[in-house]
Amino acid sequence: MNGSSKKRILIIDDAALIRTYYRSALEVRGFIVEEALNGLEGLEKVLLQSFDLAIVDVNMPQMDGITFLLELRSKQLPVSGVPVLVISTEAGIQDLAAARRAGANYYLVKPIKQEVLAEYAAVFCGAPQ
Amino acid sequence: MNEFMEQFLLESRELIVQAIDDLMALEAKPGDKESLDGAFRAFHTLKGAAGIVEFAAMARTLHAAEDILALLRSSTGAVSPNVLNECLACLDLTSRWLDAMQANGGTPPTAEADADEMIARLAGSMDIDESEKAVAAIPPGGDWLNRLQNAAGDQFFGTLTAVRLVPDPEAFFHGKDPISAIASLPKLLIVDLAPTDPAISLEAMNTFSCNLEILALTRAPIGEIREALHGFGDRAEICQLIPSQMPALDADHLARATAILEAQIGLLREEELGGLLGRLASAGRASANTLRYIGKSALAAEIEAASAVALAQGKAGPLITAIETALQREATSTQSTNTPTAQIAASRALRVDMDRIDALVRLTGELLVVKNTIGHLARKLQNHEGPEAVSSALHDQHARFDRLTAELQRAVLRIRVLPLRTVFRRFPRLVREIAGDVGKTVRLIIEGEGTEADATIVDALFEPLLHVLRNAVDHGIETSAGRELAAKPAMGTVIVRGRQDAENILIEIEDDGAGIDVDRIRTVAAARGIASEEALSAMPDAEAVDLIFSAGFSTAATVTGLSGRGVGMDSVRAAVGRLGGTAGVRSRRGIGTTVSLVLPFSLMMTRVMTVEAAGQAFGLPLDSVLETTIVSRSAIAPIGSGRAFVLRERTIPLINLAEALGLTCDEADRQSAKIVVVSTSGQIGGLEVDRLGERLDVMLKPMEGLLGGMRSVSGTTLLGDGRVLVVLDLQELFA
Repeated sequence: MNGSSKKRILIIDDAALIRTYYRSALEVRGFIVEEALNGLEGLEKVLLQSFDLAIVDVNMPQMDGITFLLELRSKQLPVSGVPVLVISTEAGIQDLAAARRAGANYYLVKPIKQEVLAEYAAVFCGAPQ
Repeated sequence: MNEFMEQFLLESRELIVQAIDDLMALEAKPGDKESLDGAFRAFHTLKGAAGIVEFAAMARTLHAAEDILALLRSSTGAVSPNVLNECLACLDLTSRWLDAMQANGGTPPTAEADADEMIARLAGSMDIDESEKAVAAIPPGGDWLNRLQNAAGDQFFGTLTAVRLVPDPEAFFHGKDPISAIASLPKLLIVDLAPTDPAISLEAMNTFSCNLEILALTRAPIGEIREALHGFGDRAEICQLIPSQMPALDADHLARATAILEAQIGLLREEELGGLLGRLASAGRASANTLRYIGKSALAAEIEAASAVALAQGKAGPLITAIETALQREATSTQSTNTPTAQIAASRALRVDMDRIDALVRLTGELLVVKNTIGHLARKLQNHEGPEAVSSALHDQHARFDRLTAELQRAVLRIRVLPLRTVFRRFPRLVREIAGDVGKTVRLIIEGEGTEADATIVDALFEPLLHVLRNAVDHGIETSAGRELAAKPAMGTVIVRGRQDAENILIEIEDDGAGIDVDRIRTVAAARGIASEEALSAMPDAEAVDLIFSAGFSTAATVTGLSGRGVGMDSVRAAVGRLGGTAGVRSRRGIGTTVSLVLPFSLMMTRVMTVEAAGQAFGLPLDSVLETTIVSRSAIAPIGSGRAFVLRERTIPLINLAEALGLTCDEADRQSAKIVVVSTSGQIGGLEVDRLGERLDVMLKPMEGLLGGMRSVSGTTLLGDGRVLVVLDLQELFA
């Protein structure tokens, strides 16, 4: 990826360790990474800047990932169409369904290996192989 | 293990502390939703962290605790002390694991066994219906879960419930039909049957005995399955399978792309839900990018076109059709890569505010400027420029350098600063335990936990504070009967309060207990020979109370396992004294006791030797002291205006300390002289004193203000008894 086509990814997770883990996986692959600590902060960032992908946790203080998605998708703005990858520790069918109903494009379960995450990020950003 | 180890350890410890705080708050207010949510989230995040460093035992232990907290969140009942205890024990265990990991760099070998035990304890704490928790009665199934998963392959995903049923051999006689029970389980996916004892011969087989192990996998929730198999009691092992990843993850790119495209169709089919525009746009982008990723740019363009149409119409239909078409046409695959992860040794870490680091960076910059100026001045001197101009400039630079080094010292000290919270936060839990052990109910209030002090001081405060708290709970707070008699609330209160007081940190431990019985103090002090009875009766109460800090003093009528450890408050005063602080106590009968500790903000330890001259104590830096000796007065000879003595055939100049300091001295009375032999900047000298004292580690405070210019004094420190010890600058003394 050259400088001009670098893809931008927003990580929304309350755990600093997780954010660092994701960030290091993504930056190695040439993504530009922004972080937000909860859904509310994520929403602010996503409304102000454009991203190619948002990676969102579910269980967060202040605003959880599901509420974030509902708010985001209901904005009727171009930014409402940012693809969202939900990564949660919850692995139940009902959790997946809740995320999908809220407007998640895909759902992965933690823990996730760095190379796998980077791979998914590349897929969602359409980064050529 | 991997490269996130260091951050994992740091963050996990913080989360443990947070979880403990929340659990303690929950105990204080059993129904408090906020604390429960906080605790739940801390466990949850801890579990996530464990996943990242691939510490499976920790992840599953915390998962078990999290499950319990989740149950509590959904129920309205209060949290039982039992559950709270097990959750705390779970955090303790995790803490121990972290310690082991920090020491050895790897997961502790006992972790799996520890985890099994902990999970069993956690399960036991909930008092779940017996039939649900007991599994011991059936023959061990070994890795039945693996067998089941192998049988299932990876065709199923999401949350599944696994069942292992080993019916009682007598089951048929009890009118039970295990096979039909399994067959009628809701959402059944697969069933696997095997004899419990495959070795049994056809002749020996009893056709009326049930010799079966049934494994099954269903998509129904665990509760539903438990309900359905309730009749089999502990013969059924039921557990929830949580896949670590979604299905397509281990498959190749193509399978992954297919799964993502199918997910987009799933998302679009929910079109009756709100946010259609966002759904359409995001599904279109995700699908097109996915196709582009696997090299299908033409298909991607088609999707984008269809997406535009769908957006314009406000309908998902065109996009769904386009994605379905793409799914039918795609092909080819590639391999994914693996990168090895590195291991990093963990180290002791201190979190520092960015501002404080920035201050250092700024100071470093300023110091560089001074260095450059001095270099410039040196060149001027080399070029034989007038010394007047240079010296005045040099003087300016020296002043600047002086200011900067002082600032640098302050900035560095500020980096080592920690809030008292780091030690205070361990107390709610400990006080609770102590109170529980002695059968009292005590509430601990913490104030001013944000007050900061040097990390060394904060770290060293734990032991003495715990000792005082133990005393407060064990001896200070009355029994509930005693409190009732005194018309006090049944619950005792202990307050730990920290605040900054000028250059010092003040910590008070206040209880609302019975107060100290001064008469008993006098009696005990007399009995222990700490002071004479006359002295004691003449002593004001405040001073008598202070005797609790004397060595070998303990007034507790009964020695309990908690406080009666053979060390009393004297150990507290000693510990605080080692930090350069003082300890005091105030008490009012029937109202309570307050122990106050005054500590310096920062720590600069110096080893000194104390001596006495003209009735006053002085400190000498131990680094300069070579030896002490006693010399007969006749061996001291006057030399010129001074005096000297001979030590091992070496003549050593001697000065009298009292005389040198301008104090009155009465040396003539004595036959021999006590001498400290010191060395300053390579010169050896003797210092005559009245008495030789002890060695101390003290925290030296430089002289400031008007006294700052005083020569021959390098600083002062407080002695354990509150007296000021002046530490001498020997170089100035012998100059």
